[in-house]
Amino acid sequence: MADNADGPRIEELHADLNAAQRRLQLVLDAAGATCGWEWDISKKRFVADALFAGITNQDPVELADGVSPDRFFVSIHPEDLKRVKIAVAGIIAGSEVFSREYRLLRADGGYRWVRASGRAIRDAEGEPAKFVGSLIDITEQKRVDEQLRIAQSAGGIGTFEYIVGYGTISVSEQLCRLFGLHPNKMLPVRTLNGLIHPDDKPVIDLTRPDELQSEGNIEFRIRRASDGQERWLARRGEYVDDIHTDGRRYVGVIFDITEAKHTQESLREANDMLAELARESLRERDRVWKNSRDLLVVIDTAGVFRDVSPSWFDILGHAPDKVTGSKVIDAVWPEDRDQAKSDLRKAAENIHTEIEVRMTHEDGSPRTISWMTSREDDRVYAYGRDVTVEQQQKVALEETEAQLRQAQKMEAVGQLTGGIAHDFNNMLTGVIGALSIIKRRIAARRTEDLDKFIDAATSSAHRAASLTHRLLAFSRRQSLDRQSVDVKQLVTSMEELFQRTLGEQIELAINVAAETWKAETDANQLESAILNLVINARDAMPNGGQLTIETNNVAFTEADLAKGETLEPGSYVVIAVSDTGTGMSQATIAKAFDPFFTTKPIGQGTGLGLSMIYGFAQQSGGHARIYSQLGMGTTIKLYIPASHATGEQSAFEKEEEAILPRGKGETILVVEDDDSVRMLVVDTLKELGYRVLEAIDGAQALPFIEGKGRIDLLVSDVGLPGLNGRQLAEIAIAARPALNVLFITGYAAAAAARAEFLAPGMEMITKPFAIDDLAQKVTEMLKPSNPR
Amino acid sequence: MIADTTDLNELERDALTELVNIGVSRAAASLRKMVNKEVLLSVPSVEIVTRRSAASLIGQRESESLIAVQQQFDGPFSGRALLIFPQSNGLSLVRAIVGDEMQEAELLEMEDEALAETGNVILNGCLGSMANMLQHSLKMSLPDVRRGDSTLLFDAHNSSRDASFVLFLYINFSVRERNIRGYIAMIMDLPSLEKLKQLISDFIERVMNETD
Repeated sequence: MADNADGPRIEELHADLNAAQRRLQLVLDAAGATCGWEWDISKKRFVADALFAGITNQDPVELADGVSPDRFFVSIHPEDLKRVKIAVAGIIAGSEVFSREYRLLRADGGYRWVRASGRAIRDAEGEPAKFVGSLIDITEQKRVDEQLRIAQSAGGIGTFEYIVGYGTISVSEQLCRLFGLHPNKMLPVRTLNGLIHPDDKPVIDLTRPDELQSEGNIEFRIRRASDGQERWLARRGEYVDDIHTDGRRYVGVIFDITEAKHTQESLREANDMLAELARESLRERDRVWKNSRDLLVVIDTAGVFRDVSPSWFDILGHAPDKVTGSKVIDAVWPEDRDQAKSDLRKAAENIHTEIEVRMTHEDGSPRTISWMTSREDDRVYAYGRDVTVEQQQKVALEETEAQLRQAQKMEAVGQLTGGIAHDFNNMLTGVIGALSIIKRRIAARRTEDLDKFIDAATSSAHRAASLTHRLLAFSRRQSLDRQSVDVKQLVTSMEELFQRTLGEQIELAINVAAETWKAETDANQLESAILNLVINARDAMPNGGQLTIETNNVAFTEADLAKGETLEPGSYVVIAVSDTGTGMSQATIAKAFDPFFTTKPIGQGTGLGLSMIYGFAQQSGGHARIYSQLGMGTTIKLYIPASHATGEQSAFEKEEEAILPRGKGETILVVEDDDSVRMLVVDTLKELGYRVLEAIDGAQALPFIEGKGRIDLLVSDVGLPGLNGRQLAEIAIAARPALNVLFITGYAAAAAARAEFLAPGMEMITKPFAIDDLAQKVTEMLKPSNPR
Repeated sequence: MIADTTDLNELERDALTELVNIGVSRAAASLRKMVNKEVLLSVPSVEIVTRRSAASLIGQRESESLIAVQQQFDGPFSGRALLIFPQSNGLSLVRAIVGDEMQEAELLEMEDEALAETGNVILNGCLGSMANMLQHSLKMSLPDVRRGDSTLLFDAHNSSRDASFVLFLYINFSVRERNIRGYIAMIMDLPSLEKLKQLISDFIERVMNETD
């Protein structure tokens, strides 16, 4: 009965033992276990290990023994449940692979992430018989993934994986966002490529799907699907061996580089622009260098050519590469080298210089080059122009100009001759006419009233003499007989002459300041100048008017005189002749002092009047000025240096009172080559009671001079054939140191200024001269008070 | 194409992908039997697009001309199914299936036949099991092989006439260490597509209830 009693107990023990054994087994299993499960599809039975039981909060013993398959879904997060159920349904219906990630609720209320990987095991008919697999806790991995996701999201970095040959690409959420796509794990490659700018490289190049992608980094533009914005993205990645197939996977990241690209782009543009500018200026420089027709050279401070432009060949004939490296001085024309050395130094020391130097052409001839240099640091840049031809032309031009001047002079001489001929003919007519009347009267023995004709002839001849004087004054070769002249008296004495000249239509006013100084000038010339001005004034007033003659004093200091003024500072007597006539335009004023300028019809004047006055004033050390406006009349002022001599009588008064002196038998040697002049002089002197020796030239005169005979005075023409008057005089004085000499001259070229020509004891008288003047001069020189 | 696929919600797309996977798994199993080698087939992505999009989608990707096995299907949802390969991939698949022993000339000779047979297995397996899962059956026509560009295959130039859509599946094959890519396209009109969507919803419902 004990058996019966023990039966159930033994069974219990057996059961306990079994259970213990199983537990032991399970513990052992657990050591290397994997959360595995086995789902028998046909038997609808589910078995799982202890770890699976633990992770899903189920009784391990129950699961080990086998339970209903719906226990697979225990503890799955409600939100994930449907997905898992569909996937499981797929496996049961024939899908091969199961792979899902989902959340399992934990006992403490939280949840863990697991990945369930499984597959269907098929029976002989190929129908799914069992569904086996295991869970892996991927919570930690998920957390890392999450961190990675956040990092990617924060960093804007998208990731992808691509298996070579496939049409799809697995992508991260962030990658989808970069492309403006809805988050998705798997995308057709073309979806991404379709957003990429057609000119840029695609993410994955599908034109050769079976080949490896270029592993390099690429950058491309995309049109973001969400907002159409264009962005720049960069791809980086590398190939890894695919675990599941024998193929390769391309794993990479994509990130936004728009900002960097824009910065880069604007930098590049700026760079390009700069580079282009630089290139352009370089090209321009090159063009200038290559195409310059002038020489461009670079010289170092040692005077060696560093570079020369191709134009060197055209201008100087040497190949530029032969010149480069040679010494500058060797290229210079030998005669110019000394100068060139100092020029080179100058160019090296100064920033800018201009140098003209001859260089040697390849053919051995010189070329004149005008250089402009510019120094920068230790280089001298020089620009050279060939001025050889220019200089030749300049010389030719100067010759032509000289020829032209000569032609103009000849023309002027012609004009002058014409004018003088007119005036001279008038005067000669007076002389010849009067002489022929006198001749006829004498023949008819009607000698009464002859004086009238003689006076007329004399007057005409004097006028002719005054004309030649004026001509000489104009040519400034008339020697001025400067002395102190009382201008007040001179002007006043001329009043009657003015009245006669002006006629009744013109009112004359003479306004002479009482304090007017005396002037240092030639009285005759001054008289002539004033008369000339009065006549001009008259001619300017054909319908009458007022003519005013004033005298005054003026003193100029340095400060009073404008720059370029010809007057020297000092005291001047001013003689002003004003009319109320037609006046002159500025153009006329500008030319009024030019020789031969005249407003009168041709043949009615020499056009020398004002120019002679100007010449006279200048020669006196003064000046002449014109003040005029058209229709407002004209004032011409003569500035004559004031004289500081006092009490001297004017030449005029002296002349008036001249009494012909008589000689006392003194011996005078007359040397004159003109027979008529010599005869006149000799006759006059003899008449005056002198003893006279005659000679035609120096050769005839020398015997008298060297002889023992008495000679008290030598009267000689200056322009003698052979020995001239001055040379003769020197011989004479050397032989007879006490001898005085009186020169007669018609054209005292050498005697423009008396003082330079005449030594003490020498005097001069100008042809034509009045016999009285000659007598006066001779007497004066023979006075014992005037010894040599 | 995002817009094209939004007519299925996430769960429906999951379910459709799963259905397709069941289909290709069966097809792979059938292939395995044929070649006695490991054949892996996976469908990583499913899209519903217009015919024109489908044409340009393959056209953009494949530079060479295409070869396709085509079968009409008729049932609760009807249309035309195409298994499409780039021509060289098609030949690779045939080579993978018939083995390396066959001469190139022979291979070319029987290419169409072999392709038609392979295509028939895959398409039948795929569509048949899908229909099965949806508790319906489809009548499949005999396969024929077509060559040409994607526009020709999808009659894309005529697609403006009717509002037909393409259920477009990318397939990655791995046969005998060869990676082969291909596409399955199911061209359906809108009513068929609506019907399919309805059937998917039903399927999800069923799955949820079954395992509760």
